[in-house]
Amino acid sequence: MASWIIFRREVGQYFASPFAYLIAAAVLVLTGVLFTSDLYGSMTVKPAEPALVPLVMSFTMIFFAPLLTMRLFAEERREGTLELLMTAPVSESSIVFGKFMGAWFYFSLMIAITFSYQFILLSITQPDIGHAISGYIGLWLYGGATLAVGMLFSAMTENQIVAAFLSMIALFLLWMGDQAGDLFANIDVARVVRSLSLQGHFSTSFAAGIIRAEDIAFFAGIITVVLFMTIRVVESNRIR
Amino acid sequence: MIEAKGLTKRYGDRLAVDGITFTAKQGEIVGLLGPNGAGKTTTMRMLTGFMPPTEGSAKIAGHDVVEDSLEARRRVGYLPERVPIYPDMTVRGYVTFWAKLRGVHHAKAAVDAVLARFNLLDRQNQLVRHLSKGLKQRLGLAQALVHNPPVIILDEPTIGIDPQQVIEVRESVRALGKDHTVLFSTHILSEAEQVCDRVLIINKGKIIAQGKPSDLRRQLQPGSTLHVVIRGAEKKKARELLASIPGVVHVESSGDGYQVNAKDDVRGEISSRISAAGYTLLEIRPITSSLEDVFLELVKEG
Repeated sequence: MASWIIFRREVGQYFASPFAYLIAAAVLVLTGVLFTSDLYGSMTVKPAEPALVPLVMSFTMIFFAPLLTMRLFAEERREGTLELLMTAPVSESSIVFGKFMGAWFYFSLMIAITFSYQFILLSITQPDIGHAISGYIGLWLYGGATLAVGMLFSAMTENQIVAAFLSMIALFLLWMGDQAGDLFANIDVARVVRSLSLQGHFSTSFAAGIIRAEDIAFFAGIITVVLFMTIRVVESNRIR
Repeated sequence: MIEAKGLTKRYGDRLAVDGITFTAKQGEIVGLLGPNGAGKTTTMRMLTGFMPPTEGSAKIAGHDVVEDSLEARRRVGYLPERVPIYPDMTVRGYVTFWAKLRGVHHAKAAVDAVLARFNLLDRQNQLVRHLSKGLKQRLGLAQALVHNPPVIILDEPTIGIDPQQVIEVRESVRALGKDHTVLFSTHILSEAEQVCDRVLIINKGKIIAQGKPSDLRRQLQPGSTLHVVIRGAEKKKARELLASIPGVVHVESSGDGYQVNAKDDVRGEISSRISAAGYTLLEIRPITSSLEDVFLELVKEG
């Protein structure tokens, strides 16, 4: 119940914030331009990429997720509302959960707009719908994980810029784990490193049209662990 | 309503609050008075359930702030020193949010009532960021009251607003004392004197004195001091005359008249003796030490 109230406020905040519209605009311009050129290429060179938007977004979420989430706790701290929230009869977990769901919901709406590209494709060719759906499910989970990481850093500081910067670094490392895996000569070590990276559970599975339980479990696990860490960080405000 | 027992808060090696014990009954306005850094805010943060005490315990309306934190927090309205705002929300949205979060069932009616009480109804659709400081303060009070809590904790609610608004806030606090328990911190002494039923003076984390403002004053300065101006008498004679009155302890000249310390009320006697001696009594007035003197004295000792 408390989560729901917090969720509603967060969603309202996104729609009241020019910055959130700006991010949505940037996402749509970026994906729109790439979709158009892919569509153009599909007339001559190769068929259109069904998971184009998920592929583009999986990289750009390194930047967009911190920008979408840096406000969540940093602003509450700066304005002092966090103290008031923590003296309201609500638990830290419902605060964290409500805020996370708010951010995830806004992100979901944002990527839902890009479904329009699929309808354009449908109207002129016969795209692989299953492949596209798999890509979007992957992107949705992937986005949730990156937003959770962004929120964790927002809870650590009252400075939004610092929060965004730190989470960009963290997400970049998580994303790069994929390539770091290639550096190891030992195949088993390489496999472990690779399977800890965000890319490792996305580019070769969801984005290729394959939905695997282990990848779903990976993203759900990351979200759970990071939300739990965020709860602990928020709780630590009480003893400082 | 508020029971604090040996509340102690340690930040590392620093002892911010050192064993504070007090109770506040229903309908009582208790002032927490002390210089900056005396531990007022920390005490309040422990009572509101924001931070757990290092030692000791506190109960709000019978609910322990640590053991039974959610129930205790449900019964507290809190206004921190710096009014916490969501700049991008409307006034109504802001108050409604806190009402719902604290589980108010008929949120709309509660919000209407509290906005009307603090004259915010005509601003209800404005964004909080556009409010003046005084209005934000009222909004902060509205937020603290919307769930009609039995206990209200206000941390220096009159800092940084203009004198007219200070008076408004003090009046609101007085009005609250009718059916709520109010704990109110300030470092302005005259304010504590005007607003509170009882004052706790704290310094360096300890309660160094407590009682009614008038009692505290009496405690430090027993008896009464009068300023007496007499016409037609030589200084020496006048002093002798005053000193001979039963009950008078000490007389000394000050300014245009005499300062008389007495154990009991000697005003009638002074007046009749001066007339009997053929002099004219021009002025007789009590000199009261303000709470300020008491406070400075106590803080110096501490």
